[in-house]
Amino acid sequence: MSLVVVDIADMRISDNPGDTLVTYSLGSCLGVSIYDPVIRVGGMIHCMLPLSKVDKEKSRLRPYMFVDTGMQEMLGQLYEAGMRKARAVVNVAGGSQVLDSQGVFKIGERNFTVLRKILWKNGLLMNVQEVGGNKSRTISLDIATGRFSIKSGGKLVHYELP
Amino acid sequence: MSYLDIIEQHIAAFPEMPSLSQSLLGYLDDPDVDFIVIQDLVQYDPGLTANVLRLANSVYFGGAGTVGSLQQALVRLGTKRILELVLSLTVSPRLVPNLPGYGLQARELLRHSTWTGLAARELARLLSIPHEDTVFTVGLLHDLGVIVLDPFVQEARIDFNESFERGHGSFEAFEKEILGISHAEAGARILENWHLSPEIVAGARWHHEPDQATAFGEIINLVHLADMLSISQGVGTGIYGLAHEVFSESVRAVGLRKKHLEYTASKTLDRMRELDAIFS
Ligand SMILES: [Fe+2]
Repeated sequence: MSLVVVDIADMRISDNPGDTLVTYSLGSCLGVSIYDPVIRVGGMIHCMLPLSKVDKEKSRLRPYMFVDTGMQEMLGQLYEAGMRKARAVVNVAGGSQVLDSQGVFKIGERNFTVLRKILWKNGLLMNVQEVGGNKSRTISLDIATGRFSIKSGGKLVHYELP
Repeated sequence: MSYLDIIEQHIAAFPEMPSLSQSLLGYLDDPDVDFIVIQDLVQYDPGLTANVLRLANSVYFGGAGTVGSLQQALVRLGTKRILELVLSLTVSPRLVPNLPGYGLQARELLRHSTWTGLAARELARLLSIPHEDTVFTVGLLHDLGVIVLDPFVQEARIDFNESFERGHGSFEAFEKEILGISHAEAGARILENWHLSPEIVAGARWHHEPDQATAFGEIINLVHLADMLSISQGVGTGIYGLAHEVFSESVRAVGLRKKHLEYTASKTLDRMRELDAIFS
C-alpha cells in the first residue's frame, strides 16, 4: 500500500494495485478521478482555475493547474494507457466557495462549468459528484478496487464502483 | 476565569520579537538609514545572512543567482525590502506548529500566511495600488493570533461545532461569541506589543472586517481579499472550511475582477513553494 499524493496543479496516473491516489484540501479547486475497472488504471487531477488563457505562460509550465488544459492532458494519457470511454468511471469533488455576494470569488463554480463542458464534449458522464458549498474536501482513489473516498469536516464517505 | 481573561494572559506572555528584528524594525520608517548600519546588524547572524541571500536570489525577487553579498542584496532590493525579508525570516518559525484547534497541520499556517502576503502584493501590482511591500508583511503576520487562540478553540470544540450546525455566521463571529475575542484582534495585540507600525497592526486587526477600519483602507482591503483567495484555494482552510465572508465593499474599492483573482492565484502557487523552501 502506498499513498501517491497529487499536489495542487498536478495529475497522477497509476496502474499499480498497491497505490492509492490522494489529493488534499480541495476548496474552489476541482479534484477529478477517472478509473477503468477492466484494466485497473486510474488517474487523479487537482486543478485550481477554469481556463488556461488567464495565464498562457503558466499553462505551458503547469497544464494541470487549469481545468481545460489539465483534463485534456489527463484524458489523452488515460486513453493512451488503454482506457475505454465506455468503461470510464468519473468522480468529481471540490468547487466550493467562500461567501461572496458579488460573485468574483466563484472560482469553484466556474471550474465546474468548464469541467462539465469538457466531459460532455468527450461523451463522459459523472458518477460521484460532490461539488459546491463551503466545505474543504480531501479525496482518494484506490487503484486495486476503484473505490473513491471523500473526507470532509471529519466525515469520511466511501463510494464503491457503480 | 473566563476564556478572555486567560487569553489576555497568553497575549501578554507571547514571546517578544527576536531582538535583532526589533533593532532592525526601528529603521523601517527611516528612509535615510545608512545601509552600512543594516549590513552590520544582519551579518552578525550568519544563518540569517545566508537566508537573506537565498531570498534575494530567488526567482520571485528577481535575483536568479546573481546576488553574492549582503551589500549587493541591499543595493539591489533596497533597504526597506531587506528589512522585510529579515522580519519574514525571523517570524516564520513561529508559524510552523501543528494547530489542532483550527485543524491546521504543521507548516499550513505558514503556507497560508506566505500565500496571502504574496497574493496581496500581486494584487497591489495588478491594481496599481501602492504599498506592495507593506501588504506582503501584513499578509505574513495577519493570522498570528491563531497561534494564541488555538488551544482555546480546541477546548471549546463543542460550542464551535454547535454554532456551525446552527448555520449562519462566520468563524470570526463565533470566536468573539464563544471566546470573547477574535484571532484577528489577538494577533493585532501581539503586533502592538512588538511595536510594529500602525498599518501593520490595523491590517491584522481588520483583515476579516475591513468595513470597521478607520484608516489604511487600501492595505486592509488587499490583505482581506488575498486572505479570502488563499482560503478559497484551499491553502490554510482548516476544520471549518471556506465559511468566511468576502466584503463586497473591499471588492468594489479596489476594482477587483475575476481575471485579477485568477491571474494572482496562478502566479502565487510557485512563488509560495519557493519561499516555503527557504523559510524554516
Ligand atoms: Fe484570519
